[in-house]
Amino acid sequence: MTDLKTLAAECLAKLKEAGADAAQARLSLSETREFNVDGGEFSLFRTIFNRSMTLTAFRENKTGSVTLNSFEPADIERAVSDCMAGVESDKPDPARGIAENQGERELTYGAPEPDAEKFFARTRELKEEIEKRYPTIIMEQMINSHDKTESVYADTNGNLFHLLYGSYGVMLMFSAHRGDKSSSFMGCGYATVDLDTPLIEQGDVARVLADTEKQIDTVPVTGSFVGTVVLAPDCLSDLLGCAIDSFATGAALIDGTSVWRDKLGKEVASPDFTLSLAPHDPAVVLPQQFTGDGYLTEDFDLIKDGVLESFVAGVYVSNKVGCPRSKNTATGWLVMPAGEKTLDELIAGIDDGLLVYRFSGGHPAGNGDFSGVAKNSFRIKDGKIADAVSETMISGNLAEMLFHFVGASSERVKNGYSVLPFAAFSGITVSGK
Amino acid sequence: MLHEFTVRGRDLFAGEPDAEVRRQRNTRRSIALVQGDLLTNERAETAGLSARVWRGGVAGFASIADTSEESVRRVLDEAKKNAAFLDGQVALGKPALPKAPSGAFRMTREPGDPEQKAYVDFARAVDEYVVANCPKLVSRRLMFRADCMEKVLTVSGGTDAHTYLPRCYLYLIFSTETSEGVPVELVSVVGGYGSFDVLFRDPKDLFPEVDLLYGKLLAKAEGVRPAPGLKTCILGGELTGMLAHEAVGHTVEADLVLGGSVAGPMLGKVVASPLVSLTDYAHSAFGKSAPLPVYVDDEGTPAVDAEIIRDGILVGYMNNRDTACRFGMKPQGNARAYDFSDEPLIRMRNTAILPGKSRLSDMIASVEDGYYLTDTRNGQADTTGEFMFGISMGYEIKNGKLGRALLDTTISGVAFEMLKTVDMVSDTVTWNSSGFCGKKQPMPVGLGGPELRCTLMMGGR
Repeated sequence: MTDLKTLAAECLAKLKEAGADAAQARLSLSETREFNVDGGEFSLFRTIFNRSMTLTAFRENKTGSVTLNSFEPADIERAVSDCMAGVESDKPDPARGIAENQGERELTYGAPEPDAEKFFARTRELKEEIEKRYPTIIMEQMINSHDKTESVYADTNGNLFHLLYGSYGVMLMFSAHRGDKSSSFMGCGYATVDLDTPLIEQGDVARVLADTEKQIDTVPVTGSFVGTVVLAPDCLSDLLGCAIDSFATGAALIDGTSVWRDKLGKEVASPDFTLSLAPHDPAVVLPQQFTGDGYLTEDFDLIKDGVLESFVAGVYVSNKVGCPRSKNTATGWLVMPAGEKTLDELIAGIDDGLLVYRFSGGHPAGNGDFSGVAKNSFRIKDGKIADAVSETMISGNLAEMLFHFVGASSERVKNGYSVLPFAAFSGITVSGK
Repeated sequence: MLHEFTVRGRDLFAGEPDAEVRRQRNTRRSIALVQGDLLTNERAETAGLSARVWRGGVAGFASIADTSEESVRRVLDEAKKNAAFLDGQVALGKPALPKAPSGAFRMTREPGDPEQKAYVDFARAVDEYVVANCPKLVSRRLMFRADCMEKVLTVSGGTDAHTYLPRCYLYLIFSTETSEGVPVELVSVVGGYGSFDVLFRDPKDLFPEVDLLYGKLLAKAEGVRPAPGLKTCILGGELTGMLAHEAVGHTVEADLVLGGSVAGPMLGKVVASPLVSLTDYAHSAFGKSAPLPVYVDDEGTPAVDAEIIRDGILVGYMNNRDTACRFGMKPQGNARAYDFSDEPLIRMRNTAILPGKSRLSDMIASVEDGYYLTDTRNGQADTTGEFMFGISMGYEIKNGKLGRALLDTTISGVAFEMLKTVDMVSDTVTWNSSGFCGKKQPMPVGLGGPELRCTLMMGGR
């Protein structure tokens, strides 16, 4: 059995011997068990036994990094040599650095040991329940897996974090059909440690399947109008992720293209809008425990009451831009507070708009302009959900959109990573044929 | 270089009638220079073994991060155990799949793998030229990405293979601002099939590409927003390739047909203008090597071209051995796996709409009021064939002449409807092979096509 802590210490020693001033070693052993359904039939049982080693070295403010999945001595020797060759290819940059000493941590969390037979039984039950409750749904693919990981992070400043964790993942891709007519393709999924609750009752699976069945018959929007758009949680997560990526993180801050580059401590959204990066929220199944620089993480508010509280910045970006280092870099762990109105009440206040489950528009432009197809979506008319729509585009600007936040639903969806409500934004251009 | 299996055939598979073992190594080199700062400087390599065993219509698959001969038996046993478990649970009772033609295919020349410094020095030399010659840039990013898949495949029935698929690209990402201070961005990708040392010999070779991109960006900064609505457009070759891949190709992957794609009921029917034909090329196209040649797939099927649309009629799907059997078609080498730990899925290889007879200049001259769309920043489509492509560069066409450049916009439509509006097809194919197709696993793919004159929905904003 490989002792990851010992191996990590040996790697750090080799990097120091090779001339590194400072170094990091990340090692992991992982096991995956995965059941696949394709075209509505069970098709595959897959197991993966993998390992990974990433070595990063620093010398005179230069850095290089190597990743491999071998722990063989000869391969490690070559990795150390390649890593130092990478260092030599760099130019000195005083912004580089790693975390100071925070000591050692031993953490076990999630569900590291799988119950494969129970998981298969729950997976089969999910397939059968979908066939029974949602007869128009064709399951293009279901990928249900259990992932177990043991990992070690160690660095030359004395940080040593040893983690053992695991979870079950459920991922569905499907569409609804009647005769030759079909809905658009839709997907949903979540991570969980709970095999006592049927899988169909977790995440937002039941609602998304039911609404997809209502999207077989669609009506195109005629002309264009400016209205209010309600984004379903997964769609909201995608667009907020794009905003964070374009406005609040690494390269966009360093090259100055972020429209939030001088907005720290200033308003970037409606005063009612708050968004946290919260990898330690109780609903999160697998938290981000430490950053790439080796800092133990804490939750923080990215935007609080409309004010930008922090960028998402590691050591390098922090030093380069001159902003405080953020308490985590977990941009996939988004938490928004629940609103006071139910989804129905939120929709009741909208005269004309859309309920959007999926946005097909790629990554918005650097300035936040977005334009794309509202997929799996419904028209909202006079406070009620009306027809499903087709060939309907929505466009706007992400930075402006946050100022037009109308409200969030009291219902929130927990998918194991994020806790997000349905959220309404006004001022979005909706255009059809 | 990976070792080939010393034990093969009956001795390796020990009576297992339908199984494959794959030894694989993936390498990746990544460099990112942002404003001259080296933000990414990484080398990565994964290697391992996998085995897949079929039993009664279901498959057991297992993989391990080890390429030693001793581990072959372990992954085969694990795959057999998984197949037996699933077969025992679901008992589909399907017969064994037909075997592919037996044989062997070997690529003997290992691609080069230069030191990291070579990539960094090259990128810095190009960056210095950019700084000196592109004064109106607000930001610049230069990124090298090189990857290579080496596979050694042994199958219980079919064709054994030892193959390499190396690629290397330099991404130039420039941005400037409009007179109103709005940032605009444009990307150019240089490179292709092969390794860095073959494709990138002298930074000076890239200077014309830098000048071209800079000029286009400045024109774009003075560009206009197109009017939304249905318009006559000339779709550039890069966009035609994306249409072929995203909006048509995925709908005719047989696993997605079984999953309910729009192509299911369309076989043998008219789905496009008679000017439109589409093929997924295996390893050569139009008398040349295809951008990313595939000779044998990961089920041991020798790769041949898959004809999809002939003169506007849907004539075929892309298959693996399993779906080919279900649809009564022949597998043509589309089963591909990305990493050693991945099972083969139905994937495209080099998907292109075939060239026609029109000249681009005549096509532009034929448009009274429309657009010529040349560059894309992203594209998505779903199994209904409804697509959305981000347009990062294009031009107005007024009275048969190119006009002002366009700011970022989007186009959308439904593939099998939009393709029926095609009334001119140019005689030149443009290929792109820098991207990854995403479908459970990533996969390097080539996509291409000629210019198409068609009717498209232009997006707003």
